[in-house]
Amino acid sequence: MRMTGDAADDDSSEEGDGRHTRMLQGITGMPSEAFEGKKKRKMKDDGIPELYPESEYNPSRDVVDGDGQISIDDLLNPLQDNPGFGKLRKRIQQIENNSKAIHAPLRTADQAKVERKAAYEISKKEVTKWQQIIQRNREAPTLLFDENIDLGFSTVGAIASEFEPRTEFERKMAALVSDDKVMEAYKKDGSRLLEMNTVSVEEEKDRQSRIAKMRSLLFRHELKAKRIKKIKSKTYHRLLKKDRLKTEYSKIQMDPEVAKEFAMKQERLRAEERMTLRHKNQNRWAKRILTRGLNSQDEGTRAAIAEQLQRHSELTRKMHSMKDSSSSSDGDDEDAGSDQDMGSKVLGKAIEKTMKVIQDDDETPKSGLLSLPFMRRGLEKNKAAAIEEANLALQEYKDSKKKLENSVGSEGPEATSISGRRVFGASKTQISDAGNKVKSDYNYGSSDSEDDLRASKNGNIETQRSNILQKDVNTDPVLIQEDTDNHQESVFKDFNEIVKNPGPKTTYEVSLFVSDTWKKAGNRDEKGTNVKKSAMPSGSVRQDRKDTEKEVEEDSDTDSEGQMVDRILTSGSKLSYELPSQEELIRQAFAGDDLEDEFEKDKMEILNAENPEPEKPVLLPGWGQWTHVQKKKGLPSWMLKEHENAWKKREEAIKKRKDAQLKNVIISEKLDKKAEKLHTKALPFPFTSKEAFEQSMRVPIGPESNPATAIGALNRPEVVKRPGVIIKPIQFEEVNPHEKPEERRGDKHRSKKNKGSGGRSMKKTSA
Amino acid sequence: MDEGQENQAIITKKKPSTHQDISDELDLKIKKYLRGEAASFEDLKDRKLKRQLSVREELYGNAAKAAAKAEKWLMPNEGGYLEAEGIEKTWRIKQEAIAKEVGLVNLRNLYDIVLPDLGPYTLDFTSSGRYMAVGGRKGHLGIVDMINLSLIKELQVGETVRDVVFLHNELFFAAAQKKFVYMYNREGTEIHCLREHGAALKLQFLKNHFLLASVNKFGQLHYQDITMGDMVGNFRTGLGRTNVMEVNPFNAVVGLGHAGGTVTMWKPTSSAPLVKMLCHHGPVSALAFHSNGHLMATAGKDKRIKLWDLRKFEPLQTITGHANTLDFSQKGLLACGSGSFVRVMNDVSGTQNYSNYMNHSMAKGYQIGRLAFRPYEDVLAIGHSMGWSSILIPGAGEPNFDTWVANPFETSKQRREKEVRSLLDKLPAETIMLDPSKIGTVKSTRREKVTKQERETEIEAAVEAAKSTKLKNKTKGRNKPGKKMQKKQDAIARVKRPYLEEKINEEQNISQKKQKTSENVELPKSLQRFARKKSS
Repeated sequence: MRMTGDAADDDSSEEGDGRHTRMLQGITGMPSEAFEGKKKRKMKDDGIPELYPESEYNPSRDVVDGDGQISIDDLLNPLQDNPGFGKLRKRIQQIENNSKAIHAPLRTADQAKVERKAAYEISKKEVTKWQQIIQRNREAPTLLFDENIDLGFSTVGAIASEFEPRTEFERKMAALVSDDKVMEAYKKDGSRLLEMNTVSVEEEKDRQSRIAKMRSLLFRHELKAKRIKKIKSKTYHRLLKKDRLKTEYSKIQMDPEVAKEFAMKQERLRAEERMTLRHKNQNRWAKRILTRGLNSQDEGTRAAIAEQLQRHSELTRKMHSMKDSSSSSDGDDEDAGSDQDMGSKVLGKAIEKTMKVIQDDDETPKSGLLSLPFMRRGLEKNKAAAIEEANLALQEYKDSKKKLENSVGSEGPEATSISGRRVFGASKTQISDAGNKVKSDYNYGSSDSEDDLRASKNGNIETQRSNILQKDVNTDPVLIQEDTDNHQESVFKDFNEIVKNPGPKTTYEVSLFVSDTWKKAGNRDEKGTNVKKSAMPSGSVRQDRKDTEKEVEEDSDTDSEGQMVDRILTSGSKLSYELPSQEELIRQAFAGDDLEDEFEKDKMEILNAENPEPEKPVLLPGWGQWTHVQKKKGLPSWMLKEHENAWKKREEAIKKRKDAQLKNVIISEKLDKKAEKLHTKALPFPFTSKEAFEQSMRVPIGPESNPATAIGALNRPEVVKRPGVIIKPIQFEEVNPHEKPEERRGDKHRSKKNKGSGGRSMKKTSA
Repeated sequence: MDEGQENQAIITKKKPSTHQDISDELDLKIKKYLRGEAASFEDLKDRKLKRQLSVREELYGNAAKAAAKAEKWLMPNEGGYLEAEGIEKTWRIKQEAIAKEVGLVNLRNLYDIVLPDLGPYTLDFTSSGRYMAVGGRKGHLGIVDMINLSLIKELQVGETVRDVVFLHNELFFAAAQKKFVYMYNREGTEIHCLREHGAALKLQFLKNHFLLASVNKFGQLHYQDITMGDMVGNFRTGLGRTNVMEVNPFNAVVGLGHAGGTVTMWKPTSSAPLVKMLCHHGPVSALAFHSNGHLMATAGKDKRIKLWDLRKFEPLQTITGHANTLDFSQKGLLACGSGSFVRVMNDVSGTQNYSNYMNHSMAKGYQIGRLAFRPYEDVLAIGHSMGWSSILIPGAGEPNFDTWVANPFETSKQRREKEVRSLLDKLPAETIMLDPSKIGTVKSTRREKVTKQERETEIEAAVEAAKSTKLKNKTKGRNKPGKKMQKKQDAIARVKRPYLEEKINEEQNISQKKQKTSENVELPKSLQRFARKKSS
């Protein structure tokens, strides 16, 4: 149906309307008027003007035909003849009787809102019932979680009674155990049990054969083990060991678990070694051998000692190498190969390199900055020093080489391989050798490396330094060629530091120092006199009074000294009291007159120091003095005002002082920075007023000022919980909101108060 | 402890007969242990805090109650005192009269030890009163067990001894000798020589802080920590030589009396005296502190003995008389000694109004050098030029001793344990201050005046610090010089900001104040009608 437009100009719509009415007529079998009226009304509703003008001549259809709406009756009437009409009518009547106007459904958003509101109400109710409990917990001074500790089963029987079979095996067992027959038989007597316990012959035989087989296997294995144990061939055992190690190694590599275990074991070994120092010539055997002298021992013993030391170093070395992460492997290689020929080889190499350096140094730059005369001079100097250094190193190498060839060998390098700082690279052994040489002077016999190091530390430091230098010289010849001067300078510096060849410079320094001390001594003397001067009391008016007192005291002191020196103690019976002289008495009597003035002066001084007086306003000289007029005006007003303000401030500050009203008292207002940490910087959080906080802190809670019965409650922590107690989620319980929380706590948690209320009585603070 | 039972003087022991009396007494004690009222937390807005505070208060109340009960039932002994009947005066009662009435145990405390050779003696008691150290001027040192009156150790140091003082227990004592201060143990072995103190005239030991304080010939005050051995403080008083020095047992502040009539109070962390007060019109000759820390007694050469309230720093009472030495007993009796005469005063009414209580005069010619009340006993020890004496002063000592504080019958094991405990509880030197109850409270907001220059230098320093901080090298795009510059400038601005804000705040404050003042200023008559009318 078209609802738009003016009906006057739109005939097509009218046509459509006609069709519609016709259709309705067809369906209902009613005259078309019935429908027309409705249509018109509807059109009127929509505010559409009628087809013809509204007037008394044209009464509306409503008036003519009564109410123009279609009722259900209208629709039903034509059906009267049809079967089932009565049923239909009955239903409709029913509907009409309890008919309710159904509202149009709300928009989904509104609906959701309403639903939410309802849900909120419900959940609010649900939540608020917890509020009391939560509030109670929040306000409680302590939360106790050690109540209702259920330790579970107390007896084995209780545990066993709760047992429930779960796995297949358990179920089978349970079925057997709790078999009715068995139970019954058990209850009655044993004979039935025996009957049930029959075993077939086959089963028994089977079992026997199985056992025999196992026994024979065991026997064979035993035999084999015995045979292997009897084998004395070393190669065999070596191979066996190797094999075993191999498998172990592979296992370690494959299985992280095993690797971990291995690492743990190693760790443990190392720890043990560090603790016991078992392989560090600690046992009696090693000590005896060392006392007898290593040189007098045969090869095997020496090797054994060496091996032991090796083992010690291995066990302790890990600790070092753990620190210097990745490059430890090559260092270890070096260590491993630190036997005689290896050492000598390295030494030979070192000598070669040093020689090379010495020869290389000969070339000098012919152009550029370095060719300038003073630079060249410097270079030459440097070079000379370097060459000297290198020569020294060479000498050392040779010495150590000789020693290596002569000495018993292995112990030296080994010992040093553990020692001190690790240096990587080729120079490593050189260092150790050099160090060795120094060490050998101190104590050759013992190869106790660490102790050695300690003993000869100062010696070593020097040598090590020089060694480092040598290392530089040796390993980086290319670098040297690239920037000779730089390197050589550093060498030169270091060389100076190492006081190996005492030159004139050092002596000069010494002399300087001497003159310094002279000066210092002079100063000290002066200071001493100063001190003496300052120590003398320098009061102006008081001095004489004090002095007299002092003299009296001093005299008595000296007197007694004299007596003491002689050790004659007879004069004690004499009374040392003397009447004060007339002068002194008078002075004492009239002392008060100036004392007060003095004190006031003192007070003013201190006040001025703590609240300084503002400076007088001063103009810059010449400023504003062009004419006499300006001069007359004087200082600008703002300056004066500022000055006045400053004065006022000072006055206020002085008034605020604690001793403002006390004439004869000075109370220092200096802040003590050290004591500041004893105060809180700001109010702690929940407090808003200082008063409330300080009042809440007024009562001491320590055991010194409270009886033992009260300390526990005063110092109980916020949460009391025993370890191992599971904190269960909060549970609902009815709480009377007007009940006092303390009472509740009391009955609910029977907390073990007054635990320590034994004989300890009350204490008083005494300071 | 209980020698007040003479025929003239009767001990009246208040015996609370009824239940009411007991509860009243308890209430009084509870009030004492509550240490003041709680701040009203009714007007607090924070409900949680309110609840917490109320719980706390309740706990305090319970603790106070428990303490009061403990005091009531665990400290049954009440001190005795002399009471005169009719026209009798207590100060007329002689020692001989008292001696007739007291038991044998107390009679042992009445004696004179005459040691004429080694000059005036000075004394010191341990805190329990069990042991006494004596030091003769001419080099005589000794420790005496006061319970069985046996000499534990006696030694001659062969030089002047000016003062002796016990350290934390009877095992050690320090002596100020001719040149240095020495520490000895009970066996008389010299343990330390404290050279830094110089020729000390007077020694004091602060037992909660383990500090040995001394003042020497040059008026220098030294504090030495005897646990670690380091000098905690070394100050020049600048007021000349003095040998008047006493420790306030309440707050461990050291008081010095000077020749200028001033008394200064010191703590080891400040080089200036905390308090300097002019007490006398002449040299201060003696000084003593009451154990509650509120009361100080000074004696001057101007023939005055003054009692001072240390809370207000005002004199409470002035008594005429000389005193070379003063001492307060545990119960608050004040003993003054001058010449060969001892005078003991007490405040009967408890209002700090001291009146004469007992007198005692020694033999003519005995010069009293030192008076010391023996703790927990009604005994006054007098060190004088002819040795030392001991007299009975009823009501002087605390009748109940707490074995956790000071135990006269301490076993060696207890002593050891106590030593360890006291070392663990040792207080740092900073905790010495005039009012130690202020510890833990909010720091006073009084800001030190910051001058413009200081502020500028502060800003400069902060900016310098900001400039000098190295910026991290960031990834490629974020490492441009422009960005770096920006970051640096930002950092500087950030550093400057708080200062600027402070300044702005101050200016605002000032301007607000100005406005306020200008509002108050009366406008000229002609302009008044334009002024905004105040809503009344």
